[in-house]
Amino acid sequence: MKILVVDDFATMRKVVKNLLKQAGYENIVEAEDGVAALRILKSQKVDLIISDWNMPNMSGLELLKAVRADSELSKMPFLMVTAEALQENVIAAVKAGVSNYIVKPFTAEVLNEKITKIMEKINQASA
Amino acid sequence: MATDFMCLEGADLDIPVAGRFLNHLEAIGKEAREAQLPFIEQIAALLDKLLEEMILGRLSDGDEGVALLGQGISRLQLIVDNIDHPQNIVDEVQSFIRELSSFLGKEEPEQIVLTPDLEVKPVEEEKTAAQAAPPTSGIPDESLMRDFVTEGLEYIDEIEINILNLEKEPENKDYINAIFRPFHSIKGVAGFLNLEIIRDLAHNLENLLDKARNGELTVTPSIIDVILDGADVLKSLIIELKERLEGRESKGAPLDISPIMERIALVEKDEGVPKAKKIGEILLEEGHITKDALEEGLKVVEALPGKKLGEVLIEKGKVKPKQVSQALRKQAEQITEISSIRVDTRKLDDLIDMIGELVITQSMVQQDLKGLINADRNLVRDISQLFRITSGLQRISMSLRMIPIKQTFQRMARLVRDLAKNSGKLIDVEMEGEETEIDRNMVDEVYNPLVHMVRNSVDHGIEMPEDRVKAGKKERGLIRLRAYHRGGDIVIEITDDGRGLDRDKIIEKAIKNGHIQTAEGMTDQEIYRLIFLPGLSTAEKITDVSGRGVGMDVVKQAVEKLRGKIEIESTPGRGTTFIASFPLTLAIIDGMIVKVGHQYYIIPTTAIRQAVKPRRENYNTVVGKGEMLQVMGQLLPLVKLYSLFGVKPEHEEPWDAIALVVEGNGRAKCLLVDKIIGKAEVVIKSLGEGFGKVRGIAGGAILGDGRVGLILDTEGIFALSEAVG
Repeated sequence: MKILVVDDFATMRKVVKNLLKQAGYENIVEAEDGVAALRILKSQKVDLIISDWNMPNMSGLELLKAVRADSELSKMPFLMVTAEALQENVIAAVKAGVSNYIVKPFTAEVLNEKITKIMEKINQASA
Repeated sequence: MATDFMCLEGADLDIPVAGRFLNHLEAIGKEAREAQLPFIEQIAALLDKLLEEMILGRLSDGDEGVALLGQGISRLQLIVDNIDHPQNIVDEVQSFIRELSSFLGKEEPEQIVLTPDLEVKPVEEEKTAAQAAPPTSGIPDESLMRDFVTEGLEYIDEIEINILNLEKEPENKDYINAIFRPFHSIKGVAGFLNLEIIRDLAHNLENLLDKARNGELTVTPSIIDVILDGADVLKSLIIELKERLEGRESKGAPLDISPIMERIALVEKDEGVPKAKKIGEILLEEGHITKDALEEGLKVVEALPGKKLGEVLIEKGKVKPKQVSQALRKQAEQITEISSIRVDTRKLDDLIDMIGELVITQSMVQQDLKGLINADRNLVRDISQLFRITSGLQRISMSLRMIPIKQTFQRMARLVRDLAKNSGKLIDVEMEGEETEIDRNMVDEVYNPLVHMVRNSVDHGIEMPEDRVKAGKKERGLIRLRAYHRGGDIVIEITDDGRGLDRDKIIEKAIKNGHIQTAEGMTDQEIYRLIFLPGLSTAEKITDVSGRGVGMDVVKQAVEKLRGKIEIESTPGRGTTFIASFPLTLAIIDGMIVKVGHQYYIIPTTAIRQAVKPRRENYNTVVGKGEMLQVMGQLLPLVKLYSLFGVKPEHEEPWDAIALVVEGNGRAKCLLVDKIIGKAEVVIKSLGEGFGKVRGIAGGAILGDGRVGLILDTEGIFALSEAVG
């Protein structure tokens, strides 16, 4: 399964990548902002997006909305990374159709748990 | 909606389903509001809140939440079914609303943590979160740390640039965002890397900016200071980390972030704005009244609305009127300190312009009045009152445009930092008197000459660290920026503790370039001043820093163009100081009024070296150079203003008239005028759009007697005379 990690902070992308690898996910692509992420999504098949909330040019929420509005991508699993469980941010993301959210800093276990849960739901739905 | 609800049941909350559910509830609430169905609206709102709490994982009892959600849906259905007989269900619905409210209310304490308090004391909240979920990899990856250091420092540079931008436009949300984001990112990664101090500081700075972004906090200079200092501390922390990673033990004790944290908390709480104290408090503080007297006075004020505390206290003989008025003034000062509005500078310029005219018109009226022998006494008194008011008005209007030099100094400090980094030198910057004010319109003008002086100090003044150590100096060089007012000028000093000017080298070059024949009899001061002559840069190599073809001669010209002066002091091995003084404003000029024929002209006094009465034997016509006048042993070109401007003069022959020796652009010429009227401070006015730029004329001014005089631009006059003759 291929995971797209979106964050403007390169170190942060590396952190998430390391945690994903610890959790056993090896196939990872990166994008530095929402615009770059959409370009990747257009050109290759991705199974899950993990995006930061706070990014220049296009925020995580805007990326989520763009993905949901796209007929080909609308079902794409989307995990939002936020710094705190700020009520307005989380609720806005949930209303926009996020698959789940995760609060920084998180461990490989929690990340894996969230991903597993999202993927289970997807499999249930398609089954 | 019912099908969605089915999915909500079970152990885990399905986030996408919950999202759809929230959207449904929102739509129901909206429709209910429009259809005026308050019960439905109320239940939908409560269910919305309940579900939000569930999504955020804040309910201690998730199952009960799900159960309540289910009941809510069936109640909604019940209301719809009984829409025609609402009385049947009122009791049941009301009791459910109460139950739901109290269930949500029970969770209130937890909820409060996430409402405003989260922003006030987020650190402790986060710490518990971090302790609950420490990252699995006990020792964070070293290469990650290195990446963090590199990227983090880049982010801080970005922050610094944007803070400077924000300082110029404190309302600009883009800049606030651009500063918020890097802090946010640094915090996020620091959390993963167990860098708690960095995370906490970044977090609090981010919070401060978040408040500014939401408009909860107004961006004031003190907030900008705190952010800038916070960024500096953060930078030091990251550099400390870098040194640790490189295996270097950091010198000294670890950085204490508590002072900066306190300052953040302080500006956050006070909104960075001190409140004006009450008059009673001031009097109490000054020791004019006792606490009892104050309380007594306050009681009287309460009983008699409309009475002021000051009045009451005076009547009771508790304080002297003077003490109250002093306290009131103190209070007013506090208020002016705290409240400010933004005004378009063009409006301000227009206002100042109009006030300038008002002052002149009023002095014309006063002059006219003097001419009247039988002037009404009341009129004379009123006019002199008007005079006082207008001059006060003018003083205030000039101060409106004044801003502290701080911004310019900060830009310099940044510049020094960058230049030092590029050249491998270690340089600290110290500032003094950065609150000194200068006309807003001057700020941009003085920037360029100052930059050249600073560049010069960094490049030619401060030595490389190893050379400094060899010379027995501290490894780190120091550049001190100092500003103060002197008379009507602002003086800016740039001091370095570098190697000082090389006297012998300057002499050698000056002789080579033919500026002097010998240095004999010259004081050190005079010799140092030679570096302001063209082609005397003492640098041995052209560098990126100063070697941009700009020598000190250009700096001098730029300063003089602003009607300023530049001086230099230097001690070999100890350092050099540039002392530049500028007029506080370009709006007023200190000028010499001269007359040619019937015309009045104003020449800036800074440009005038001397005035002479030419003698016939000193007047010559030199082939190829035109008319010349010998003044103090120097042969200077003579410029006849009357022929330049086509005015019929009183005296055509130079020996009947007066010659002013005027300097500009490093040269001197004699301007021939009929008469010197006197010195005056005049307000410069443009000639108006119809004229555009007239060569040789810097502007116009209305003189004290209402006549118009033209202000001469000496450089332009020189160029004009060369073109003509």
